[in-house]
Amino acid sequence: MAELPPTTSVRRWLVTTNHKDIGILYTITALFFLLFGGVLALLIRVQLWDPANQVLSGLAYNEAVTAHGLIMVFWFLSPFAFGFANYFVPLQIGADDLAFPRLNALSYWMYLFSGVLLGISFFQGGTLDAGWTMYAPLNVPMYTPSIGSTGAVLALFMFVVGVTASTVNFLTSIHHSRAEGMGLMDMPMFTWSILATVWMMLFAFAALLAVGLILASDRVLGSVYFSATEGGSLLWGHLFWFFGHPEVYIVFFPALGVMLELFQTFSGRRLVGRKWVIISICLISVQSFLVWMHHMFLTTINLEIKTLMMATTIGISLPFDLLVFALIYTLIKGRIQFTTPFLFAFGALLLFILGGITGVFLGAIVLDYEFRGTYWVVAHFHYVMFGGATALFGGAYYWFPKMTGKMYDEFLGKVHFVVFFISFNMVYFSMFLAWETPRRVFEYNPAFTSIHQVGTVGAFILGLSFFIMFYNFAKSYVSGPDAGENPWDYSRTAEWAVSSPPPLENWPNRPSYASGKLEFVKDYVPDGGPAVKADEDGNAVTDGGDHHPDHIRKYPYWDKHASHASIWPFLLSAALGVLLLGLSGFNPATEFHFGSSLADFSIDIMNPIYPVLTVVGLLALIWTGWKWGMEDFYAPPSEFAERWPFEGVEKVKLGMWFFLASDVMVFGAFISAAVFIRWNAGWGTWTPIPDQLPGLINTVVLLTSSFTVILALVASHRKSRKGLLAALGATTVLGTTFLAVKAWEWWTKIYVDGVFLSTAAEPYSAVQASVYFVTTGLHAVHVIGGLLIAVFLLYRTYHGAYMEDERPVEFFGLYWHFVDIVWVFLFPLFYLF
Amino acid sequence: MITSLTLQQGADWDAQADVFNEIFFVFLALGTAIGIIVVAYTLWNAYKYRDADGNGTPDEDFDPPVVGELPTGQGGPKAKKLFLSFGLSAIVVISLVVYAYGLLLYVEEGPDAGSQIEMEGDEDNLEVLVDGFQFGWDYTYANGHTETNEMIVPADTRIDIAVTSSDVWHNFGASELRFKADSIPGETAYTWFSVSSDELEQTEDGERAEFMVECFELCGSGHSQMDGTITVMPQDEFEEWYDDTESDDEGVEEWEDAFGEGGE
Ligand code: HEM
Ligand SMILES: [Cu+2]
Ligand SMILES: [Cu+2]
Repeated sequence: MAELPPTTSVRRWLVTTNHKDIGILYTITALFFLLFGGVLALLIRVQLWDPANQVLSGLAYNEAVTAHGLIMVFWFLSPFAFGFANYFVPLQIGADDLAFPRLNALSYWMYLFSGVLLGISFFQGGTLDAGWTMYAPLNVPMYTPSIGSTGAVLALFMFVVGVTASTVNFLTSIHHSRAEGMGLMDMPMFTWSILATVWMMLFAFAALLAVGLILASDRVLGSVYFSATEGGSLLWGHLFWFFGHPEVYIVFFPALGVMLELFQTFSGRRLVGRKWVIISICLISVQSFLVWMHHMFLTTINLEIKTLMMATTIGISLPFDLLVFALIYTLIKGRIQFTTPFLFAFGALLLFILGGITGVFLGAIVLDYEFRGTYWVVAHFHYVMFGGATALFGGAYYWFPKMTGKMYDEFLGKVHFVVFFISFNMVYFSMFLAWETPRRVFEYNPAFTSIHQVGTVGAFILGLSFFIMFYNFAKSYVSGPDAGENPWDYSRTAEWAVSSPPPLENWPNRPSYASGKLEFVKDYVPDGGPAVKADEDGNAVTDGGDHHPDHIRKYPYWDKHASHASIWPFLLSAALGVLLLGLSGFNPATEFHFGSSLADFSIDIMNPIYPVLTVVGLLALIWTGWKWGMEDFYAPPSEFAERWPFEGVEKVKLGMWFFLASDVMVFGAFISAAVFIRWNAGWGTWTPIPDQLPGLINTVVLLTSSFTVILALVASHRKSRKGLLAALGATTVLGTTFLAVKAWEWWTKIYVDGVFLSTAAEPYSAVQASVYFVTTGLHAVHVIGGLLIAVFLLYRTYHGAYMEDERPVEFFGLYWHFVDIVWVFLFPLFYLF
Repeated sequence: MITSLTLQQGADWDAQADVFNEIFFVFLALGTAIGIIVVAYTLWNAYKYRDADGNGTPDEDFDPPVVGELPTGQGGPKAKKLFLSFGLSAIVVISLVVYAYGLLLYVEEGPDAGSQIEMEGDEDNLEVLVDGFQFGWDYTYANGHTETNEMIVPADTRIDIAVTSSDVWHNFGASELRFKADSIPGETAYTWFSVSSDELEQTEDGERAEFMVECFELCGSGHSQMDGTITVMPQDEFEEWYDDTESDDEGVEEWEDAFGEGGE
């Protein structure tokens, strides 16, 4: 399915893998979620109108607060920013598309369907009502029993899966497809901010994925991590904020990038202290992982750790100072044009200054003791986060002409800004004035009533101001004047060097910065070989031959056309959506009776809908995954590109490494959780649940399979089909053996020793059983995933694949080694000590 | 302001509120000043360098960037200024926090028993266990007696509280008294507060002061209504009340889990 239908056809939007199409899809979907979250916000504000009169029940109010937070942070802010990132990062670095276009489409569809799941959760007996921070143990079914609560958790899980794919994609693209001559330090600031963002996302979202998986396991399977008094609540706090603090920069950095671009474009000046700005951005990205406990100053963590966290928190505010001053000084001696985009970026800076100053208050522990859980925090983070979003709206005006080819209406834009800015401060500054109000409380101290009413009035105006923007965009799209290639006087970045909107493959010829500025060069493509650089007449330059790195020379791709369409991302996401929808109600709809032996095992199904959805979804997922693997989809790597520091690494392999890095974090979080719970329970009070012998056998089995995977690669390299079949077959057999031993081990635990998830016979505790089953279970799921891939590879090998191109075997090998290494850590933790 | 910066610890302090109020004042004053200076400077420059006459006039100094150039950034005097302002702001922020940290230690330790607070008998402070539940608070005293939703304490006494929870995560706090502690199942958090008898005298009946307790962590459908009172009474009245309460073994056990046998 290589042909891409025209933009007027609905099919185009279902099958497209082009980064610009997907950027538009992200932007529009995110704006939809802005409305969704906005309506919830207005509900909250109406409830706050009068502390004595309520429109919502306590439960409904909590649902509104929770969904508002989740939607704005996850389903609006980041995707809105990533709409622009999708559209403009490839353009700014001179690439044709992202590194993995199909994966990019998959990320988008996962995002969309996860949002749909969240929407559905409102109708599954009410959505989650535990706050966007989902503190434990309020987040377990005992306290939030609705099916919709599980639905919301699984929606978040699905969102995170999509984000992980997107992260890997951007990291690989930016590190692997920069145009010739564009070093990392030469990248435009928006791209820089996205690069820092995705690096943080790689690790932060892995932690969220892990904590989400554990929560899903508590909710769907019945494990008892977060209800455990052996540190369950604090475990959630640590894992959530380990993700949560980087997350606040993850949502802010793209906005910062937009500010950095717009300040330059509309002042006609170059960024002051560019190098230091970049260094600050990198510093912040690293430091963001070292401050999370400033959200937990009032918990039982000790004074030494609090002090450390206070120091790191203040430390992280310093690079932000530098960023703010760099923005301000860039304007000096400029020719500032107060266009709508600039107004929004400038307004964002002012809001951010206020948000930053109030953040420093929070960083001082004594003050935080009082501010914690009050509207001070709410006001602070709206100034910084929504302040950031303000810059993104500036970005929307700035790039609207490029994305649509039409100019927006400047007057309406300015009206929007003025109304927006005033009402913004009405809403959020009033929160500072009424800061003693506890968060998420509507029966507040009546002394604050009038202040909260100002906030509510402001909120309605703020909400309405967006309709000016929607009207402006809609009207301009239909009948606005043509924008031309470059409507701005002082723009610099490459997206302004092509038509508006840019053509499908972006460039007239290959973009190159080799001469120090953007040029489009024509390469000479010999028959049956990769392109070589050409002189002005189009003849090959013969100054010493082939400059391509090994991985470009080795694999034939230059005789194929790049693909731009695939339906499988859409279908695969839909399948996962169905599976998760099924799982959300699976637990209440079924009852498992383990009986005294396997023969007594039975399942009662009270309501067939959810189990059926689960099974259908699972089958569809496997089927679409298979079709995905079989599809002939080409996304050629850039031939001449800057790849520092990954010059020698092939594109997909680089992506694989990034993915594995995030998976390392996931297991890291699971293992930390196990250690944390055990430490809280008293380290020495636990003795291993499983016997050592089966564990030892399995260790040997897995390590042997690592060896057979290497044999597979050797066979593929030697083009020996039989050898490859044998080696892959052996790997499959060993993997299956591992699972069989594991199954036997679990069977004995359940039927002989009476240990299962939440019901542990002496001397084990329920939480210990949960930790053991869930952690080793996650590993087993990885083994099963690996086996499915192995079977797929076997099938393809049988039909003659991998004789020319051994890469898939190699990538599978990387994954398999990783799974084996994880076991090497799990074995001592669960079997020996 | 300068005096309050050097004034590390007020001699007449006896409550977290005093510490908070001073630090908050200092931060607010400095924060507002810095905020106004930075915002005003920014606005002024934006105004000064506005593109007043369109972009037609050629200008020797003005060297705008062009599409497709590799970014270089500006060095020169502005970069120096950047470091100067950065350095200044760093000094302000760091000294603020160091200053606030000194006072944190005071809050963590609590005032010396007996400094400003006159203690009665050999017990110098009262220890109360606070147990949060959906949706209210239980207060257990050393004799095992438990009150629900109303915490009764004497004036002029340092009240040490240990906060825990029997279901989900709550947060126990009284805004006016400026103290707060997480109420987490399986954990015990400690803090303290005190109310001087001067405050009792300022109340209407001149006898008792009441302070509102609220829950500061979302804990379920009744979170909004999860408030309670702290009633402060003169020491002798408290003694009288306390002597009338019945002791309870289970309560004693829980209390001892938090404070140790017989208290500190
Ligand atoms: C000057 C730098 C900053 C400092 C020192 C700072 C400090 C803090 C502290 C200590 C808290 C915890 C408050 C509490 O719950 O008691 C907090 C909360 C928060 N901050 Fe900041 N912050 C800064 C900048 C930012 C930025 C740039 C963002 C996002 C763009 C941000 C977003 C948030 C959010 C979302 C929360 C609240 C999360 C929640 O409880 O729901 N902060 N900040
Ligand atoms: Cu934080
Ligand atoms: Cu509460």
